[in-house]
Amino acid sequence: MVPTTYYVLLSAALFVLGVLGVLLRRNAIVLFMSVELMLNAANLALVAFARERASTDGQVLVFFVITVAAAEVAVGLALLVAIFRSKRTTDVDEVHALNG
Amino acid sequence: MELAIFIITALIALVGAGAMIMSRNAVHSALFLLLNFAAIAILYLLLRAPFLFAVQLIVYTGAIMVLFLFVVMLLGAERAEDERDAIAWQKPLAIGLSVILFIEALIVSFRNGFAALPELSAEAEQIGAPETIGQVLFSKYLLPFEITSIILLVAIIGVIVLNQRRKTVS
Amino acid sequence: MLESVSFIIPLLPLLPFLGFVANLLFIRNERSAGLIATATVGVSFILSLVAFILFAMGGGSRPYLDLVTWYWINTGALIVPFGFLYDSLSSTMTLLVTGVGTLIHIYSIGYMHGDKRPVRYFAYLNLFVAMMLTLVLADNLLLLFLGWEGVGLCSFLLIGHWFERKSARAAAVKAFVVNRIGDAGLLLAMMAIFALTGSLTFYSQTHPSGEGVLPGFLDSTSSFSAIFNFPGQPMVLATAVTFLILIGVTGKSAQFPLLVWLPDAMEGPTPVSALIHAATMVTAGVYLLLRVEPLLEMSSGTRAWILWIGALTAIIGATAALAQWDIKRVLAYSTVSQLGFMVVAVGLGAYTAALFHLLTHGVFKALLFLGSGSVIHAAGDEQDMRRMGGLRKALPTTFWTYMVGALALAGIFPLAGFWSKDEIIAHAFEHNIIVFGVLFVASILTALYMGRQIALVFFGEQRDHSYHPHESPKLMTVPLIILAVGTIIAGVINLPGSHFLNTWLQPVIAEEAAPFGTSEIVLAIVTTLIGAAAFYLSWRFYNERAARLRANSNDPIYRGTGAIWEGFNEGWYLDGFYKAAIVQPFRSVANFIAQVFDPRGIDGLVDGIVRSLNGASNGIGRIQNGFLRTYALVFLIGVVLIVGYFVAVNR
Repeated sequence: MVPTTYYVLLSAALFVLGVLGVLLRRNAIVLFMSVELMLNAANLALVAFARERASTDGQVLVFFVITVAAAEVAVGLALLVAIFRSKRTTDVDEVHALNG
Repeated sequence: MELAIFIITALIALVGAGAMIMSRNAVHSALFLLLNFAAIAILYLLLRAPFLFAVQLIVYTGAIMVLFLFVVMLLGAERAEDERDAIAWQKPLAIGLSVILFIEALIVSFRNGFAALPELSAEAEQIGAPETIGQVLFSKYLLPFEITSIILLVAIIGVIVLNQRRKTVS
Repeated sequence: MLESVSFIIPLLPLLPFLGFVANLLFIRNERSAGLIATATVGVSFILSLVAFILFAMGGGSRPYLDLVTWYWINTGALIVPFGFLYDSLSSTMTLLVTGVGTLIHIYSIGYMHGDKRPVRYFAYLNLFVAMMLTLVLADNLLLLFLGWEGVGLCSFLLIGHWFERKSARAAAVKAFVVNRIGDAGLLLAMMAIFALTGSLTFYSQTHPSGEGVLPGFLDSTSSFSAIFNFPGQPMVLATAVTFLILIGVTGKSAQFPLLVWLPDAMEGPTPVSALIHAATMVTAGVYLLLRVEPLLEMSSGTRAWILWIGALTAIIGATAALAQWDIKRVLAYSTVSQLGFMVVAVGLGAYTAALFHLLTHGVFKALLFLGSGSVIHAAGDEQDMRRMGGLRKALPTTFWTYMVGALALAGIFPLAGFWSKDEIIAHAFEHNIIVFGVLFVASILTALYMGRQIALVFFGEQRDHSYHPHESPKLMTVPLIILAVGTIIAGVINLPGSHFLNTWLQPVIAEEAAPFGTSEIVLAIVTTLIGAAAFYLSWRFYNERAARLRANSNDPIYRGTGAIWEGFNEGWYLDGFYKAAIVQPFRSVANFIAQVFDPRGIDGLVDGIVRSLNGASNGIGRIQNGFLRTYALVFLIGVVLIVGYFVAVNR
């Protein structure tokens, strides 16, 4: 059996890559994909822990995460489309009306 | 054997993720992410979660990524960042912080050690089986399950409202 | 007998107070204001007369009547009744205050006719009488202090009655501030007394709970006999307490070194000077000393201080009065001097003599002030004696009454001033020959300055013809006549041999009647002869030289005395000393604070805070740049820190 720690390390690496994507990319869609990557990394860790504890609950939690992620992606992409309609861009840096 | 599969799959997942954040073209990014999701799905299988394996493939690689690609093409946003980065100063900071975060994860991992897990009993092998999950889902987690359905409904309505083309009042 | 109708005692201060309220809130014209004010004080006088007679008739059974209307403060540890103490001392004072007060109110109706703010004037005058009666009738120190501050407030308001004049405003503020210094001493004395005995009432009375007694501090004098170690010299507690009281007395009764406010207080209307700054308020200090007589008896140290302060004040006042041109300032310094006489009497232990002089002085000094008011009235608000002269023809009533007052002040037989002043001098002769010498000189000076004033004001020819003198209306002359009659007969209350006042005061102040023998008679004859001679010589001297006086000319004796005369004129330069020693340094400090410390220090601090806040908010605002990715970065910083914390803690 593969030790849980390997999975956790992989999960951490994927999560950090997702963070980098969020911080460095400006294309809103890619940024959004990076968020999905982070969600998946977390899911992976959850499933690995569920395996270690031989419990079903962790997997059910991941199932809920995936469901909510689907809803989130739908709403998020709808927002992107709405923003694109008013700003004609998907560059997140172009949307900074909140600056102090 | 299992370790070999894990290593190969993990490498595929990492390469997919790295290539996703590096490629300049959003369509390429989406496809690399698809690769990553598929690899993670295989890892689910390794972790005795066949149901999640299926859900991952259907929902993520099937539905969500299609949606992404569809929006990319709809908006024509393959290349959205050709201009100069307005906040380029935060790039080293972001990389540095990410490295620190990863180092923290490494510290935790090494503290916990790398003991291999014992083999599961025949009964425990079933933790991820669709029947098991179904039973838990419709008994113990019935309320969250129903709430999730409401969230989905809200999301549907929200998407419709957001993308409704209002008639301009003349 | 008084017990059965004891309700009239609280009415004494209450009636003038009601007059004050009425004048304050309802009355808007001069005529009714004067009537209301005079009526309330007059009724108060009649009531105090009734109370006095009833008290005298029922005398013997109870030495005093303590009437608690309600408990002002009732907190267990501190119990202060709003109570009135009617004994032989306060009854006498009440008669003086209401009697002289009524006459001065009547006089004021005439004097203040046509004034811009008569209603305000009468309201304050009424409040003053109410507060003075509260002071006199209080059965505890705190209530006395209420009256003490109340009369101080009225004094301030009435000195500043013509506040359009800068000098009046300055004099009012000066009186108030100088009195504050003394009040601080009295406050400290009150605190010390409360700390020592746990009570502020003068005499023991029923405890508000109905059981036991509320001890009076004058009944528990043993609390004050402890010795405490003052640095360098151990002293009895009573000395410390009475010395603090003495500080209060020097403020209110214009004693050295706080006497400077009284001459300036003459900026107020003349009836105010008569009532407040001659007859009643300034004697409050002497009254307080008499009230705490059991404590004074325990401290020879404080009595020595009282003695010498009084003697010094008497001589300063008398010499300064000699060198004034303002008709009222002469009388003001004379009042200072006479108050010094009373204080000396207290210091000598001659309490009855002090009260006797207080009473007679209250009558004849009020007479003199009202007379001077009549003169000023006739001379078209002129107060400089160099511009007067020859007024006896135009103002016969004023002249004759003034003459009575002046002779009484000079101590001429058989007027009231002779008896009371002579008693003090006799006591001094018996106890302290140096003080006797000082008082003797002061009384000769008294005769000199009164002779000078009479000569300058009433004799000779009128030197300034810019006004046409006319006798004052009846409203003003009748009080003068009544007071003059009082001045002639007031001596009977304590004639040597009868000692009526002495006996009357026995329950409050147990003092042996002064001996009356050959030496006293000789002394009295000598002083009165010398006084009369001085009065006559001074009158003649100035009468001969008055015709040459012009508005800015110097005094005839100026050539010979020069600097000394100026020193007297300036009141021994006390004002200059205070200006140099206190006012100027204070101004410098205030200037430094206003022009250096405030703009640089305080404003600098405030501006610095503003600047640093501005800088900080600008810096923080830059973080809030609207870029989603920067927010994510900040978020990440937080995540790193939190995870780092748990990694570091959970090992």
